[in-house]
Amino acid sequence: MFGLANPERFMRFTAPLPPVLWGVSAVLLAVGTWLSFAAPGDYQQGDTVRIMFVHVPAATLGLAAYAALGVSSFFALVFRHSLADAAARAAALPGAAFTALALVTGGLWGQPMWGTWWVWDARLTSVLVLFLFYLGYMALRSSIDDEQKAGRAAAVLGLVGLINLPIVKFSVDWWNTLHQPASLLRAGGTSLDPVFLAPLLTMMAAYGALFGAVWLTTIRAEIVRRRVQTLRARLALEA
Amino acid sequence: MLDLDMSPYAAFVWPAWGLSALVLGAVVARAVLSARRWKTELRRLEEDSERRPQATQGALGQQR
Repeated sequence: MFGLANPERFMRFTAPLPPVLWGVSAVLLAVGTWLSFAAPGDYQQGDTVRIMFVHVPAATLGLAAYAALGVSSFFALVFRHSLADAAARAAALPGAAFTALALVTGGLWGQPMWGTWWVWDARLTSVLVLFLFYLGYMALRSSIDDEQKAGRAAAVLGLVGLINLPIVKFSVDWWNTLHQPASLLRAGGTSLDPVFLAPLLTMMAAYGALFGAVWLTTIRAEIVRRRVQTLRARLALEA
Repeated sequence: MLDLDMSPYAAFVWPAWGLSALVLGAVVARAVLSARRWKTELRRLEEDSERRPQATQGALGQQR
């Protein structure tokens, strides 16, 4: 596992993975979309239940991507692995995109069902804080010219943001929220009917594979970018 | 059979799916284009460095 921390070995080992993940995510997205629109409308929510099939995966991946960012930040900070730093950086933008999608699609579901686009309840607010952590991480990285210093400062922020993950997850249990409690991952099993569970799980797997493909592709691009910079510096020295 | 009649919630369901497709498409495009851009740039520098072998020996060694 630690052998993969070597960028050269990482590039060799992961070379065949992105095309596989792109293919898997494309197939799962197609199947998930078909299942989402083949399912009947919910007896209470009507057709707005179909928003759940893009909202829940986006929210889940927003959290998962931040976990990846936080753990990578830990390794970058403690072991000073450049690969871990690249992994943290590569998780930020797709994670922010997933979180933004969760917020917007949540509002699009909330308006017809709750009668409001937004409420300052614990779940919605903590997801907004998660989005702000992503923005802060990216802003901090780009605001410092020295890449190593930028990486370290951003890694500290990335680690601090990990505290927010259990708050997001358990906010619906710890506080009274308008947002409904967990219906998928909860004690006693899921409360979802199989007719909705199939499209939801398929879309979650599709989003997961898509994130994997984007993350790996971006890490690999980041490694190549750093090589380009090294090469440019050497060529400039010799010129 | 697909049910594409979202009424009376079409104004909420389609934007949610459309926006998701747009954002995911943008994230994928950015990742792929960025990877392609840096690969092309590395190849260009490699070609440059072939004219000055001793200058770039170390960097070329790293990428193989």
